[in-house]
Amino acid sequence: MKNTLTILFSSKTATIGLILVLFWVFVALLAPYITSYGPTQQDWKASNQGPSIAHPLGTDELGRDLWSRLAHGARIVLIIMPISEKFWIPGGTAIWGVIAALFCGASLGLISGYKGGWADEIIMRFLDAMMSIPVILLYLIIVAALGASAVNVVIAIAIVGTPGVARLVRSLTLDIKTRDYVRAAETRGETLLYILFMEILPNAKGPIIIDAMLRVGYAIFAMGTLGFLGLGMPPPSPDWGSMVAKGREFILMGNPWASLWPSLAIASLVVGLNLLADGLREESMRYQ
Amino acid sequence: MAKFIIRRFFLLLLTMFLVSIAVFMIVESSPGNIAKNVLGAFITPEQEASFLAQQGLDKPLLQRYWFWLLGSDRAAERKCGFKLERIETEAGFQEWWAKGENSTLMRWSLEGDDLIVQTKTPDNTIETAKDNERWKKAEDGSYIFWGVDRNNHAVLWVKGASNEVWNFVVGTGWIKSSGGPQSYIPLKKGFLRGDFGVSLRTGRPVEKSLFIRLRNSVVLAGIAFVVVMPLALLLGMAAGIREGSLQDRFLSIAGMVFSVIPEFATGIFLILIMSHWLELVPGASVFGEKAPWQRPDMLILPVLTLTLIELGYVLRITRASMAEVMRSAYIRTAFLKGLPFWQVIFRHAAKNALIAPITVIMLHVNWLMGGIVIVEVVFGYPGLGQYLLDSALYKDVNAIEAGTMIMVLLAVGTQLFADVLYTLLNPRIRYS
Repeated sequence: MKNTLTILFSSKTATIGLILVLFWVFVALLAPYITSYGPTQQDWKASNQGPSIAHPLGTDELGRDLWSRLAHGARIVLIIMPISEKFWIPGGTAIWGVIAALFCGASLGLISGYKGGWADEIIMRFLDAMMSIPVILLYLIIVAALGASAVNVVIAIAIVGTPGVARLVRSLTLDIKTRDYVRAAETRGETLLYILFMEILPNAKGPIIIDAMLRVGYAIFAMGTLGFLGLGMPPPSPDWGSMVAKGREFILMGNPWASLWPSLAIASLVVGLNLLADGLREESMRYQ
Repeated sequence: MAKFIIRRFFLLLLTMFLVSIAVFMIVESSPGNIAKNVLGAFITPEQEASFLAQQGLDKPLLQRYWFWLLGSDRAAERKCGFKLERIETEAGFQEWWAKGENSTLMRWSLEGDDLIVQTKTPDNTIETAKDNERWKKAEDGSYIFWGVDRNNHAVLWVKGASNEVWNFVVGTGWIKSSGGPQSYIPLKKGFLRGDFGVSLRTGRPVEKSLFIRLRNSVVLAGIAFVVVMPLALLLGMAAGIREGSLQDRFLSIAGMVFSVIPEFATGIFLILIMSHWLELVPGASVFGEKAPWQRPDMLILPVLTLTLIELGYVLRITRASMAEVMRSAYIRTAFLKGLPFWQVIFRHAAKNALIAPITVIMLHVNWLMGGIVIVEVVFGYPGLGQYLLDSALYKDVNAIEAGTMIMVLLAVGTQLFADVLYTLLNPRIRYS
């Protein structure tokens, strides 16, 4: 633990990245306490305003406070996943998307790498075909087909992420399955599931975790893009991408703020995650 | 090598086949209703049923996929016993006719119990006449006739049992008419024979709008490509010459930052800065009927957005490749034997450092497409991506299929091209 922190703070890029990410994590955690309006609370007398003392970042076309919407938007990305209007589960939408991709990808990769033969051939050809489809097309078709909701965004992120994870896990499995402890488990007569998930997977976790960190960045990127295309969370939930799309219509009317702030938010969070992952990777390579 | 290319080619076909099936099934299972999308939310169930039957959407999924892939004219020919022919009128519309004896073209309609035939002779004169001899007696005693109607369907008429038909005419509204057939087969040649079908959203053949959209997208991508490549390769080499130097760190981090920011955010920043605050260039690309190159000022911001996004990616790959080459023994030798700095860089290093980036760039087309879709939406640019998005939201299955097939073909095709190019650039690689 201490070692990780040393690596982290010896890299300037990683530190900056960490500060950006932590900023948004705290904003998301504390959203109800650091905002004085609700994210859907409308003030008809003050629509399309620039920053002021009452509204630090301004208001959108319905007079909703942009700072509050931004903070609650961070919550949806990082902290909670709304299932229906009333019900939500902990863990951000982007996080759940990555977890689902890891689960599907790891299962396919493990089976494919461990079994080999025709199972491997079929799974890998199928994933190759999936990988060759433009990512945006997959997102478009999946979400347009399933309808726009947090659960469907998670499904889309998982489907798009699965082939990449599966490839990584497969290559790791091919290496690990020749080790003695896997042989020992086979000789003991352990079940297939036990060997895959208790023997092979824990020993492949290092590279998978680094990959997962980058994937959270992609997932946030994807969430924003889907929201921007009108395929994200249904209104009136404070989704960054849809805020940009809505705010874009009011630039010409003289209110650039409604589209500027969510764009900045999503850019800073994604850049932060990438700086963090990049810096960590560079520093840990130097240590080795 | 030939074996490798053939194998990859079949993989391409397989991918397209699987994707086309997947798209069909996904569109099928998705929420929403194409009849309501086309005709509005207030249609009656009879109107909806009539519309679905006329579009052939009441048929089973497998049959619809088959008709989409290979065409429905053969199946229709077996039913009605005529040769069917598609002609293009002078006004540019596609019409299906049945080919009768001595090569006259025929179409029918039903008025009361009378079949009315419309004949078209080779010199383009059209005559109408009663044609009641065509009724055939069916097993249950009713008289039936399979023919071609005036709206490009093969249809089954039953004497005395004319259904009500609802037709929506733009500008007039709903027209209810009798003389309706019992069953419709919309006539088309099928995707494999070059007919992409009719877009339900526009009511026109898909290929008429699709290829203009594709051309616009290719223009945008082409200009961006020409701007990005030399710049990115040059900057990447500049960064890779001395690893860890100030210019290396600056270029790498700037490149990374621009390449991970979502396209729409970059686009919004540029619109706000260049168009809203500085008022230098237009912030949208609305061409109307014009071609993109007739309004070059509207292309500036979309191209700039794509450039910023793509620059970072290519720059980083070139930098890594260049840095690796600069560490190699033959570069050190070149320096030690006293060759001038720039000669070593351009003659010895650049040549070897550029192999990897050039092929990786081809693989990157996949991502570039994503960028283009978003950029088109941000700037309202009338390209393929926007077309696909609109079609997907509308459940316009023919348009989605055609757009998807083109995108997959482009993506997988460039990947294949990259592999071939790589063997040409680097003769040490052998595929087997």
